[in-house]
Parts: sequence; C-alpha cells; structure tokens
Amino acid sequence: MLELVTPLIAPIVVLHVVIGIVTYVTLLERKFAARMQSRIGPYRVGYHGVLQPIADAVKLMMKEDVVPTAADKPVYNLAPIVFLVPCMFIFATLPFAPGLGVADLNIGVLFFLAVSSMEIVGLFMAGWGSNNKYALLSAMRAVNQVISYDLPFVFSALIPVVLAGSLKLSDIAAAQSGLWFIFYPVIGQLAFIAFIVSTVAAENRAPFDILEAESELVAGFRVEYSGMKFALIQLGEYAHILGASFLGALLFLGAWSGPGPEWLGPIWFLIKAMLVFLLVTWVRWSFVRIRVDQILALSWKALLPATLLLLLATAVVVVWRANAGL
Amino acid sequence: MTGEVLAFWVLAILLVGSALMVVLTKNLFHAVLWLALALTGTAGVFLLLEAEFLAAVQLLLYAGGIVTIVVFAIVVTEKLVGERLSQVSRRITGGAVVSAALVWLIVSSIMERPLAITRAPMSGDLTQIIGETVLTRFALPFELLAVLMLAGLMSAIYFARPED
Repeated sequence: MLELVTPLIAPIVVLHVVIGIVTYVTLLERKFAARMQSRIGPYRVGYHGVLQPIADAVKLMMKEDVVPTAADKPVYNLAPIVFLVPCMFIFATLPFAPGLGVADLNIGVLFFLAVSSMEIVGLFMAGWGSNNKYALLSAMRAVNQVISYDLPFVFSALIPVVLAGSLKLSDIAAAQSGLWFIFYPVIGQLAFIAFIVSTVAAENRAPFDILEAESELVAGFRVEYSGMKFALIQLGEYAHILGASFLGALLFLGAWSGPGPEWLGPIWFLIKAMLVFLLVTWVRWSFVRIRVDQILALSWKALLPATLLLLLATAVVVVWRANAGL
Repeated sequence: MTGEVLAFWVLAILLVGSALMVVLTKNLFHAVLWLALALTGTAGVFLLLEAEFLAAVQLLLYAGGIVTIVVFAIVVTEKLVGERLSQVSRRITGGAVVSAALVWLIVSSIMERPLAITRAPMSGDLTQIIGETVLTRFALPFELLAVLMLAGLMSAIYFARPED
C-alpha cells in the first residue's frame, strides 16, 4: 500500500513544502537586505514581521487582474504558468535526504539544468505577450544574458559531477561524505566561485539585472502583470533561485552531511541551501548594476574559458588519481 | 489500454497538432511557441522510450535553440522594425501532397515489415552506454560532427562580418 501511495503523495508534499519555503525566503531576503542597509525591514505584521509573506500573498490574491487591451491574450495569460512549471519541476529530482525525494533520476544534474533552462520560454512569452516596449526590451536583454551564462553554469555544475563520477544527485551527495567538494584543493573553491557568479547571472539579480533594471525598464518583462499572475512570476523566480541554492549546497557543500543524528540531514541541507541563498543575496545588495557589454565580456572572455579549463583540469586530476590508485 | 499506450497517443496527438500549428499559424511568434511545444513533446517521446538522457538533452539544447529563433521572430516582426510580417504558407497544396506521400511511404514500409512489439531489454545505464560508445566506437564520427559544426560557425562569422 505504501509503495502505491508514496509516488502520489510525495510530489504534493514536496510542492507544498517548497512553496512554503519560497514564501518565507522572500521575508529572509527582505530582512537580510534591510540589515545590510541599516533598516529594520518588515516589522508590523506579526512578531518582527513573521506574517508578512502571508499578508503579501493575501494582498496579491485580492488585487484586480489587469490585462492590457493590446496584449496578445493567450500568450500573456499562459506566460506565468509556463514560467512557473519548469521552476517547480526542478524540485522533482532533488533528494532531501538519502532516499527522501520525489524521483532520484540517473541523470539528476542534467534534468535539473534542462528543466531550469526552459524557464526562459515563459519569460519570453511574458515579455512579448505584454505588448509593451519595456517588457520586450527586457526579453531581448534576457537572451543575451541567458545564452551567455548557461554554459558557465553547466560547466561549473559538471565539475562536482566529474569528481563524483555520477550524474545522480544522491551519488554526488554520497561522494562528499568524506570531503565536501568546496574543500577539494583549488578546483573546489574556483568551481564554487564560478557557480555562484553564474547563478547570480542566471537568476537575473544585481549586478546582472539589466533585464529588470528598475530605473530604465521599470520592472522588465513583468511590468504589465498584476495580482495573481504577478505572484506566480515572483513565485517562479524565487523557486528557481531556491532550486539553484539547493543545487549549490548539494554539489559543493555536501548536501545532508553534518553532525548529529541522521534525521537532522534535511535540516542541515536546508541550512546550507539558505547559506548559498544568502551568499547570492549578499552579492545582489553589494554591487551596482553593470553594463550589457561588461556582462557579456565577463561571460565569454573570462568565465567560459575559465570553467572549461577547470573542467579539463578536474578530468585530468580524476584520471591521474585513479591511475595512481588514490 | 496500458498507461504507456495512452501516454503515447496523448503525446502523438500533441506532437502532430503542435507541429501542424507551427506551419499553419499566421503569427510568427505563435509559430515559435508551437515549435517549443512540439520539441518538448519530442522529449516526452524519448522519456516514454526510457531514454531520459536524450530527453534531458533535447530540452537543454532546444530551449536555447528556441530562444534564438524567438529573437529572429521578434526582430523580423513589426514590433522593432515597424513593418508587419506575417507568415504565409505559399504552395500549401504542393506541400500537403509531398507530406502525404511521405506519410504513405513511412506507414507502408512499417506495415510491410512490422517492428518487433517487445523492446530489446536495455542492459546497464543508458547514459553510460552513450558516453562510452561516443568516445570509443563512434569517436571518429563524433569528432567529424564537431568539425562540421565548427565549419558552420566559421561560415556564419564570415557572412556576418562587416564589409570593408
């Protein structure tokens, strides 16, 4: 009976837990940003603002749903869904502890990368369907950035794959029971830096946020969205960044390994993912926006060759160690 | 009717329908979106054949591909250049005849020699098998493909370079 029910219930549980975490991650970011800027942040709703995300959600649900007259209606209405679904699929393959997850695929990392790259289709539908110059410009800028930073992201994520010798996420986590890959001499640290930089870029956050640059494009591709559709886009965006944080924690920080009994594993994993998330947020609130050409140059001239070389070096080290019998 | 057969028919209808919409819709941007759906459906077919690796690669590569086509679609539509360009299907009858003939050819050849219904059992991890064969038995064709793509890239740069 349990075998029959688990595949049905596990996705529902994971979906709700993820949405819950995503909602509270927004509060974490606002509090963290406020702290960095010597502000207090959300404070009024509940104790120290703990109920703020719920108030936000209720507000967004009650808001009027405004659809621009000139919008391409089917595309405009479908875009938030197309944007959200791949971001939620990310969590289908994540193991939260040994044997705890929806589906531990053999090609876990590849599935993650493939699904998260589909997000751009929804972004484009939003940008084009809104029939708004700012939204369209934002979508055009997204192409530059997403195509440029997909490759460094994939390469830096492949380095732990080569070190662990498996594409399966649980195998990669298990391979770090002795030494977390971030502590792997030289390779680990460089790969982690490359991963963080390309994550920040892939999530379109400052200093790489030209596609939503509020001073020139207002809010970019989602400028025409309001109410629940806006909420879905925000949810998708934060789910994506949370997924990338979990991936970073799994690839480099040893996933669920940590002191204490085994059932603490998922909590350790969550803490590590939150650390990666705060690192990305820290970068976001510390740097100013850079120009398009600087963004492209950083990717094609520095990050891409560097990660490619690092991947080759990792392969050489792994083969050499295997031959030396280490 | 097993789940597999049902999934196949759902995917087949989705694939054929979206592929038809790609060529029949007037709006260039909608055509690209239908193409995205068709390519995702293809990934679904790969999944049905238990080739997860191919399905993931299909999504990964074609997501990038779709984005590039979208850019072209936007650049050539009225939004940026102020000129309306709708997709017209010229010689639609001729095209229909050719595709009907192709379908007839494929269906009749399959009917003549029916494929084995039972699939040969897969031994081992498909991803691993692909990786090993590409780097050993098929190393030469694999490298030749890489050279071919490099040649394509270089000719694109040649055509795109400014006149001097």
